[in-house]
Amino acid sequence: MKFLDHLEEWLVTFLMGAATLIIFVAVVHRYAAGLAIPGVQDWLLSLSMSWAQELTIIMFVWMCKFGAAYGVRTGIHVGVDVLINRLNHQMRGRFVIFGLAAGAIFTGIVATLAAGFVWENGAHYAFMNAMGPVPEGMFPGPTTPDLEWQTWTVYSAIPLGSALMCFRFLQVAAVFARTGDLPHHDHSHVDGLDEVEITDEFHPHEVHAANNGTRKEGQTP
Amino acid sequence: MSTAVILFLLIALMLTGMPISISLGLTVLSFLYLFTHVPIESVALKLFTGIEKFEIMAIPFFILAGNFLTHGGVAKRMINFASAMVGHWYGGLGLAGVLACALFAAVSGSSPATVVAIGSILLPAMVKAGFPNKFGAGVIATSGALGILIPPSIVMVMYSVATNTSVGALFMAGVIPGLALAGVLGAVTWYRARKFDYPRQPKASWGERLKAFRASAWGLLLIVVVMGGIYSGMFTPTEAAAMSAVYAFIVAVFVYKDMGLKDVPKVLLNSANMSAMLLYIITNAVLFSFIMTNENIPQALADWMLGNGLGVITFLLAVNVILLLAGNFMEPSSIVLIFAPILFPVAVKLGIHPVHFGILMVVNMEVGMCHPPVGLNLYVASGITKMGITELTIAVWPWLLSMLGFLMVVTYWPNLSLWLPRAMGML
Repeated sequence: MKFLDHLEEWLVTFLMGAATLIIFVAVVHRYAAGLAIPGVQDWLLSLSMSWAQELTIIMFVWMCKFGAAYGVRTGIHVGVDVLINRLNHQMRGRFVIFGLAAGAIFTGIVATLAAGFVWENGAHYAFMNAMGPVPEGMFPGPTTPDLEWQTWTVYSAIPLGSALMCFRFLQVAAVFARTGDLPHHDHSHVDGLDEVEITDEFHPHEVHAANNGTRKEGQTP
Repeated sequence: MSTAVILFLLIALMLTGMPISISLGLTVLSFLYLFTHVPIESVALKLFTGIEKFEIMAIPFFILAGNFLTHGGVAKRMINFASAMVGHWYGGLGLAGVLACALFAAVSGSSPATVVAIGSILLPAMVKAGFPNKFGAGVIATSGALGILIPPSIVMVMYSVATNTSVGALFMAGVIPGLALAGVLGAVTWYRARKFDYPRQPKASWGERLKAFRASAWGLLLIVVVMGGIYSGMFTPTEAAAMSAVYAFIVAVFVYKDMGLKDVPKVLLNSANMSAMLLYIITNAVLFSFIMTNENIPQALADWMLGNGLGVITFLLAVNVILLLAGNFMEPSSIVLIFAPILFPVAVKLGIHPVHFGILMVVNMEVGMCHPPVGLNLYVASGITKMGITELTIAVWPWLLSMLGFLMVVTYWPNLSLWLPRAMGML
């Protein structure tokens, strides 16, 4: 479990940093290749960076799917909770569980649909190909325009990410059912300030919302 | 009929408090399953292709750039610069608060973070100088929202994604309304400070001003990198965003030295977390707008409006009311992603300029962040000032009222937004 957590964090961190670097290098390359430096210019012109845009999009789609799963764990997915926060403790708890279950159902459905889609569009062929001779009438799936990767490998971010997200929703729901705790994300966190103590016994609910920075799918009152 | 079902389903699901992205997705799934013959598998494909656009990728890059500079050290430099420039006028530190919020919000890209960063440094100083607590709270809570109008603005990228409007033109169009709104907030501050005779700061010498400017200039250059890069045609908006992220990294780590290299992975992870959440809403909002167009809902709305002889003025008024109400429940990105695909086709049919409509929506979001009962900035400000929401509501009303007035000006005076991009040949 710890391993999965770290893998998830490591993956989205890497994708974010690497995508930024790729675009940076591509832009620098575009302008540097225009400079008439003997030797260097020919070498730069011989490199093609046309794949950078496509690779960035793919990296960000992967980052989005796995980051969304990580976001469930950190409680960043916001909802409209003004209404349920006015309910009593028990009713509110039921709605929170309902919301988390709905999340698990939606991501579960998407994971299943997307897995079918990926399977139909090349994964089946690749699997058969790896196993041995491919039966008659089966074709490899489409490829991406610039990198010419198999699209099913790229698209598999959806089933994998959604399945992970589904798992995270169930995990959060289980923790909530047991302890009543929900993860919170602080949108107003700023580093490098002298610690400002945010406590106010007269308006605990409001201060709590401020600590979260925004309206969450559920809060512990 | 189908319109009613879709909207009812969406509202009902949202009110249960589930994440907005999930309620959008479930609405689409259940509608497709129950009422149409569109194959559900098409949803899976849309989930990928929904964000397969290079333009959308500007959002993670801008978030990253902002996160590198969302730091107390940067806030201090902005405040020093602002109070050196305007501190000797009436309401000195308050005016400095407006200016510092505008600068910091533009660079950091986050309203709540601006309120916290500027507020927790400036408010204690204001109280010490003799300002009443509620004056400072009112200034900071409202000025903190300026960031989504002054470029680079993530909400504007969202709007451009939802409606296919040029990001560059939107950014440029936001400049004058942004400065004007800062001016309006500053004027209210100045007027009230003069009326109640609040203290002024000693006048800073030009040497001090230059020194403060040089310290804050590194951060402010981020805006120049983005706007200059886009306007000169050197970068596409997404490339400009990536360049600004690299620039922000260099400034934060090597120039300001607010953070070390070891803090970088944490910033990357936080930005990825935030961007993934927004991109996830986008994918589901794309699905949602797909069924809206499939059911011809915007078209029907436009025909109904024209059929009843309702013109531009009524429509814009209705848009303002709807958006302000929605601002009570949702955060800006979700509002733009849900409402822009519905309202935009109607606006275009009525002859409203897409860029003007975008600026109008953004100003609406800004007002929504500061107005009671659930404006996000109010909550954050209540946290740092230890004032209740009711008390804060009274504290912000002079500024809030002038913001509403400004909203009316933006709504019915398109040239305020359109003049600059036109003059620069971007429209």
